[in-house]
Amino acid sequence: MKPRPEIILPSIDIEAELAKAGANTQGRWGELRFFARRYLLGTIGLVIMIVFVLAALLAPWIATFDPLAVNARHALAPPNAIHWLGADSFGRDVYSRIIYGARISLAVGIGSTLLGGTLGVAIGLTSGYLAGWVDLLFQRLIDILQALPLLVLALVMAAALGPSLQNTIFAIAIPLVPTVARVIRANTLALRELPFIEAAKAAGMSEMRIALRHVLPNTLAPLIVLATAQFGSAILTEASLSFLGLGIPEPHPSWGRMLSESAAEYVRTAPWLVIFPGLAISLIVFGTNLLGDALRDILDPRQRA
Amino acid sequence: MTGKRIALVAGLWLASGVLPAFAQKQGGVLTMYHRDSPASASIHEEATYSNNVAFMAIFNNLVMFKQDVPQNSVDSIVPDLATSWAWSADNTKLTFKLRDGVTWHDGKPFTSADVKCTFDMLMGKSTNKFRKNPRKSWYDNVVDVTTNGDGEATFNLKRPQPALISLLASGYTPIYPCHASAADMRTKPIGTGPFKFVEFKINESIKLVRNPTYWKKGLPYLDGIDFTIIPNRSTAILAFIAGKFDMTFPTEVTVQLMKDIKGQAPQAVCKFESSNVNTNLIVNRDAPPFDNLSIRRAMAMAIDRKSFISILFEGQADEGGALLPPPAGIWGLPQEQLQTIPGYGPDVKKNRDEARKLMEAVGYSADKRLKVKVSARNIPVYRDPAVILIDQLKEIYIDGELDVVETANWFSKVARKDYMIGLNLTGNAVDDPDQAFYENFACGSERNYTNYCNKDLEKDFDVQSQETDLAKRRALAWAIDKKLQEDVARPVIFYSRYGSCWQSHVKGVTVMVNSSYNGYRYEDVWLDK
Amino acid sequence: MLSYLIRRLGLMVLTLFGISIIIFTLLRVVPGNIVDVLFDAAGFVDPADKLKIEQDLGLDKSIPVQYATWIGGLLRGDLGYSYVSEKPALAEILPRIPITARLAALALLFAVSLGVPLGVISAVRQDTKLDYTLRVFSLAGLSLPAFWLGLLILMAAVALFGSIPIYSAAPKTWFDSLVMYAVPAAAVGLRSSALIMRLTRSSMLEVLRQDYIRTARSKGASDRTVNYGHALQNAMLPIVTVIGVEAAFLIGGLIVTETVFNIPGVARFLVEAIRWRDYPIVQNLVMFIAVIVVLSNFIVDLLYAVLDPRIKLAD
Repeated sequence: MKPRPEIILPSIDIEAELAKAGANTQGRWGELRFFARRYLLGTIGLVIMIVFVLAALLAPWIATFDPLAVNARHALAPPNAIHWLGADSFGRDVYSRIIYGARISLAVGIGSTLLGGTLGVAIGLTSGYLAGWVDLLFQRLIDILQALPLLVLALVMAAALGPSLQNTIFAIAIPLVPTVARVIRANTLALRELPFIEAAKAAGMSEMRIALRHVLPNTLAPLIVLATAQFGSAILTEASLSFLGLGIPEPHPSWGRMLSESAAEYVRTAPWLVIFPGLAISLIVFGTNLLGDALRDILDPRQRA
Repeated sequence: MTGKRIALVAGLWLASGVLPAFAQKQGGVLTMYHRDSPASASIHEEATYSNNVAFMAIFNNLVMFKQDVPQNSVDSIVPDLATSWAWSADNTKLTFKLRDGVTWHDGKPFTSADVKCTFDMLMGKSTNKFRKNPRKSWYDNVVDVTTNGDGEATFNLKRPQPALISLLASGYTPIYPCHASAADMRTKPIGTGPFKFVEFKINESIKLVRNPTYWKKGLPYLDGIDFTIIPNRSTAILAFIAGKFDMTFPTEVTVQLMKDIKGQAPQAVCKFESSNVNTNLIVNRDAPPFDNLSIRRAMAMAIDRKSFISILFEGQADEGGALLPPPAGIWGLPQEQLQTIPGYGPDVKKNRDEARKLMEAVGYSADKRLKVKVSARNIPVYRDPAVILIDQLKEIYIDGELDVVETANWFSKVARKDYMIGLNLTGNAVDDPDQAFYENFACGSERNYTNYCNKDLEKDFDVQSQETDLAKRRALAWAIDKKLQEDVARPVIFYSRYGSCWQSHVKGVTVMVNSSYNGYRYEDVWLDK
Repeated sequence: MLSYLIRRLGLMVLTLFGISIIIFTLLRVVPGNIVDVLFDAAGFVDPADKLKIEQDLGLDKSIPVQYATWIGGLLRGDLGYSYVSEKPALAEILPRIPITARLAALALLFAVSLGVPLGVISAVRQDTKLDYTLRVFSLAGLSLPAFWLGLLILMAAVALFGSIPIYSAAPKTWFDSLVMYAVPAAAVGLRSSALIMRLTRSSMLEVLRQDYIRTARSKGASDRTVNYGHALQNAMLPIVTVIGVEAAFLIGGLIVTETVFNIPGVARFLVEAIRWRDYPIVQNLVMFIAVIVVLSNFIVDLLYAVLDPRIKLAD
């Protein structure tokens, strides 16, 4: 028995939902305008995310300095006209480092979520669809992974793998697997009994094809909601790992790393080194959370206010 | 000659130590934060001053560097458990007369047997074995230690080595009791010193308490010493500013943090001193392309030492060779000689032009750049200079990528020669050429990371080691040091300086300027509260 | 009921067994071992001494033998010796548990006493400005890294009071210890409070929409009675769940917060032990954490059954 409710969501027709909500979907920007008004917070979240993605993509053009360039004369410069967010102890520009840092955070966020999500989906689908001993085996594996808090498992894995971007992504992805797998499995189990799957089976489709063609698309909604949440916690976990010295090493401008260095030396003497990287982490996660909330509202009618 | 010196030193010591003639106050517990959790409480088994700071006060040596003289030298060595010492005529026997009536913290008497036990263990001759024995090579020249009754011990040497007495005076050379096992000394050490060990909770705290039966009457002044372990330097300094500690961990406060202390707690007393730790470049000279002397020399010449010192120390650190430069150091090359060594001159641009020529001669250019990995331990004191080094190497067609290595993997990596260029720190416990040369540059030494091996020069090591005339020995040491730098054996980038601070009510603290391993006996520290 | 309990216990043991294998293997994959760390400051690794220490610690034996030794000891209640302190691992771990437990309890208390009332208010005032503000704040709370919040608190405390709430000596009185733990507890608890608030809000909303609430209202029960009497009572169920689960998962926040505030608890100890490759400490600590998580999940499930008679404990 699983007393805690799993998220089981039916697929939804966004057009219909919008129409039902009384949206004026006429005209080119109608839907967008409606969406922005109806889900103001979600839109803000989306805008924040877009800003960070653009920052990451356009880093070489919008950064004012090479993020690794050392300049003795500007060491520990407070925020000023040249160094908008100040400079660190090597005279490296904090603004440029944060801009380039967005690449790392997004890489970790997207990488871990995708990897964890893919593994989770694979396990969940197989487990839910094939059932039997495969299911039993995967279930136990999930139990094991779920019995360790995210950061604890990531810590041990990061130590085992050594500090690098790829390893950090992997170390964070694995603890994300069980939640995805459980949600997908529960949905798959529910879907299996639905008539259209029965029909596909009767039509002679192979199990694998049914799973991929029919079951997977119908579990997308909860997957998206979940992925947004995991994206945020992946970024937070990377920051914590780097803060503890087990994440992404120097000289890469990881926000968590930047914080960990400044926390050790400059809490008082150069507070901008503590404030801005932390703000960047908080802001991107905040954006994810806002967006995630709106997505949940849209995709999960049960939770809708 | 020696007899006169002993009389002089003993006189000095009598004047200041044994007869507390000033208004020192008895009592109070000194609180200090500790930078990290020592691996064990056994000084002989460890090789970081984290141990000396916390545990040196439990012990006595045979002799020690006088605790209130900032510069360690042969002249500042005073009696401790030995009341006097004398060299034999051929300078191969060093005999100590031992103090009578000294007891260990558990009440057992101290005798010459304890001296023999200690050095037998250090030389690996005892059944009571250390788990680790990092300074075994200090006694390579000692044949054995013999005793004559309870009150006399003699070191028998293979050849004269005047530096031995300095090694014995280091905080690294406490006398251990015969009756405690090496394992006991790691967890609950027993000594004869001014403070007794109470407890060591890893990652949390270390506590010492006054030894009421200390053989120096009236000492120590303090009732005890409490260390709280705070690895985060910024947090620790905040706590010091907030008045939660009497003292910072010694020689660990950076320039920036010291400015903060001066601003926030102006009443605090701070000293900013060299501690005889240098940051150097290790190059894997066995692996191409670094087996080519031109490339090694080009790198050495590309180093802009002033820039390192200005970024990391706001200008307050020293340039030097293999030995700590004066005025803090006794043996190092004077600046005017130093500046004549390739790469040291003030004209960085000219040096780099030459360096680029060297690189071009072996086929590198702005279009054909050399890609290297610069390895550094994952600790700021290693990593920070590596970041600057990479930036500077760009000037001579070398593109460096920082390779951060976890502490647990660093030395095995270096020993495997699994690196191209590395950043390394060398701390000298005793400001003496013997220690620096044999340890870091002798063929086959464990700490000779680059495998620099020059048999001819090594003969010179022995010559200077046996020289009893100070001025002559110094001239020999200079010549060796200069040769080492010209050979790019292990280019020294800078000698760091760090601060130590204490609240104004703490009295009797002396920060030593040419070693950070020898000054933590704390017996004459007192609190004016 | 009984068969359910037996089944659950069996699964718990199986899970713990799996964790023990995974953690044990992961640790052996970590490059470098305790001996490398011990030799670190010496500037070299002496191969003969290294071998000797490895033999003393049993690290030269094959992995399955080492595993069997550990598990065998664990079953007898013998956790082995810390490689670093050479004291029994239990003696190192036990005294640190109450410190972390106290911090966690305070954090949870903070989270519940902030999260539940705000969640209820947010639900009752659904779609008002207040609701929006609270929701934005809760999302912001979820977005702040715990260690950054801790650092900001430290910076603020120094700027405002010239003193900092960090551990510099063991607290002597009950009051001292409350003062010392309160600030870090708030730093950890904030995130949980945001989580609890959001959950309280959504469960309240769900309950408020249900028929019997409408009935109560139609029968003339006051808003206050309905909101706080009926609705909250029924919304407690999922709230209890999240509190139960959160209690175990607080450990992530505790690790970084204990680091920032220099609290010598068991969470920071784990990080230090990983760094030192002190296998006996890491293995046993991770097992301890796993036991806590598994047990609290189990208790939450049981509590669920007690609170909600519709759920029967059978599979």
